[in-house]
Amino acid sequence: MQPTPTKLDSAADAMISADESLLAVKDLKTHFFTDEGVVKAVDGVNLSLKRGKTLCVVGESGCGKSVTARSILRIVPAPGRIVSGEISFQQRNGAMIDLAQTNPKGREIRQIRGREISMIFQEPMSSLSPVHTIGSQIMEAILLHLPVTRQEARKRAVSMLELVGIPRASEQLDSYSFELSGGMRQRAMIAIALACEPQLLIADEPTTALDVTTQANILDLIRDLQQASGMSVLFITHDLGVVAEIADEVVVMYLGRDVESGPVDAIFHDPKHPYTRALLQSIPRYDSRDRDRLYSLKGTVPHPFDRPSGCPFHPRCDEFIHERCNTVDPDRYAAGTAESVRCLLYSPDED
Amino acid sequence: METDASLTADGARPLLEVRNLHMQFPIKRGLLRRTVGFVHAVNDVSFSIRPGETLSLVGESGCGKTTTGRCIVRVYSPSSGQILYQQDERESVDLAQFDNRELRPFRREIRMIFQDPFSSLNPRLPILQIVGEPLRANRIASGSELEDRVATLLRRVGLRPEYIRRYPHAFSGGERQRIGIARALALNPRLIVADEAVSALDVSVQAQILNLLQDLQEEFKLTYLFIAHDLSVVEHISHRVAVMYVGKIVELASADELFANPLHPYTEALLSAVPKPDPRLRNKGVRIRLEGEVTDPSNPPSGCYFHPRCPYAQDRCQHEEPPVREIGADHWVACHFADELELRGFEAIGAGTDD
Repeated sequence: MQPTPTKLDSAADAMISADESLLAVKDLKTHFFTDEGVVKAVDGVNLSLKRGKTLCVVGESGCGKSVTARSILRIVPAPGRIVSGEISFQQRNGAMIDLAQTNPKGREIRQIRGREISMIFQEPMSSLSPVHTIGSQIMEAILLHLPVTRQEARKRAVSMLELVGIPRASEQLDSYSFELSGGMRQRAMIAIALACEPQLLIADEPTTALDVTTQANILDLIRDLQQASGMSVLFITHDLGVVAEIADEVVVMYLGRDVESGPVDAIFHDPKHPYTRALLQSIPRYDSRDRDRLYSLKGTVPHPFDRPSGCPFHPRCDEFIHERCNTVDPDRYAAGTAESVRCLLYSPDED
Repeated sequence: METDASLTADGARPLLEVRNLHMQFPIKRGLLRRTVGFVHAVNDVSFSIRPGETLSLVGESGCGKTTTGRCIVRVYSPSSGQILYQQDERESVDLAQFDNRELRPFRREIRMIFQDPFSSLNPRLPILQIVGEPLRANRIASGSELEDRVATLLRRVGLRPEYIRRYPHAFSGGERQRIGIARALALNPRLIVADEAVSALDVSVQAQILNLLQDLQEEFKLTYLFIAHDLSVVEHISHRVAVMYVGKIVELASADELFANPLHPYTEALLSAVPKPDPRLRNKGVRIRLEGEVTDPSNPPSGCYFHPRCPYAQDRCQHEEPPVREIGADHWVACHFADELELRGFEAIGAGTDD
């Protein structure tokens, strides 16, 4: 196992390790080249994740959050591919690698998948194999990446199942995914993902299909495992309640872009972007007056083929500036406690 | 059960009264498909829905809330029990006893909205036919009159009437849910059973649909049975809430009362599991985490079904099934120790006033 990392130039290398960042995505663009046209699913996303922290990517369906996650692991399904951008990831040996430049079927990325970066998915039933036992699926990951014997791998698989709180672990090792309940399946998937102690766990809506009580247990589990192992978590969700529970940093996405990013407290208590504010106002809250009308964003997310000009949010925005927002594509600006906001309201050039 | 008469003792006559409803599904095994047991999906459920109110059924998956809803619209024939529907001022009828022919007039008045706007609309039919089908099937309108009525319905749910000839694939999830609502409204129903109607939608669309449902309720004096698992949505939309666990109602009260002052340990645990949309509340207040899994309804435990997971369980809970009883005005609960336990409501859990 001697990966040959693609070396970035030393200036970028120094800059990234200075802020202890494990993963930095810069201006990532992943487009899908379909027969009907190009779908710009991810069209300029920036995010950075520090070691041991949790970054939540939040947005509505179709905003490109899952494609961003899949781009990092280079598992974007055809006809999609990364068009431009940079995904710098610091490997365990300290070397930096630009995942966007790797061959999606090559050795480099395969040594990172499952070993350095793991992923768990929303629907454990369809992401676990129905014809292999839970144990063999965990052992597959271990045997692929670690220099151990089958006995050692089996032992490790049992201890992984114990770690994620599956009762009677050594018996459950030989059960199939359909024999487990939804919550237990998600635990088994976490056990597979964490079997090789990755530095980064990507969790794509891992609790969306679960009941609230099970969701609370799984969130607790991810948090505990993170504290014990010091891994970083990239958590993708549309549920703002979950974000508030688990995030250190938040990136809000809209139509393939990061529209606002910052610390979780700033996003919830001092949101800058009109879209972030609208999202927060649309959730029913206990403290709001009962049965009052909820704030609702007008319109719907536009079809990816007809992306609005200028700021992609302008047709739905309450603070739309005529002749500006529909022509100027906003840059990322710093504003107060937020790290960056893509909105002309915060542009230093506007009055 | 001694409770069903008093459950409705509130002055207003209920639009729908469910009494001791049971629904059992046979488990069939082997070559001869012999029945080897039963899943008791709905087990002695009684409640009533008042005209113009929204009653929510909440609980984890498998608790029987959807089955209860389907019994009421008579997709299923209940194993036993009564579903008394207030037909007019004087008369009420028992829908549980009716066959399909007798049910026909009532199928206009009790309609359903489904969870998944993608699978509940026929992809091969244009909107005109999907929304117009109940009108045509009941010979209420046809031809150009049908088109006019469908256009009016579409406008009422916030869709452009020009879309009448489009097919479902051309619409987003929120728009499809509006089409489903238009279809439910076509026959001027009185009661709408909304089964997880907003669960599959994004928050911004969810807010639009919840607002629409409330507007329609006011405009047409609709009564909703709202089946959901998202407690913040339920808190927002409901007048009263019934919490179900393994086929039984364990607590029923007004939404304000239930969220502020839960009396059943299961309700407390559910409320505590809801993620609060405020990072400052993190790690504050109480966290109640239920151990284990939801009980298998084909093999329920003795006594109180919740006792294996209940943090307050005592000996008595293992042997004796708690009856549903009224504690406080119109607050019903099935727990032996409901008047002794001091449980925390949503606010106390959230605000961390009680560490």
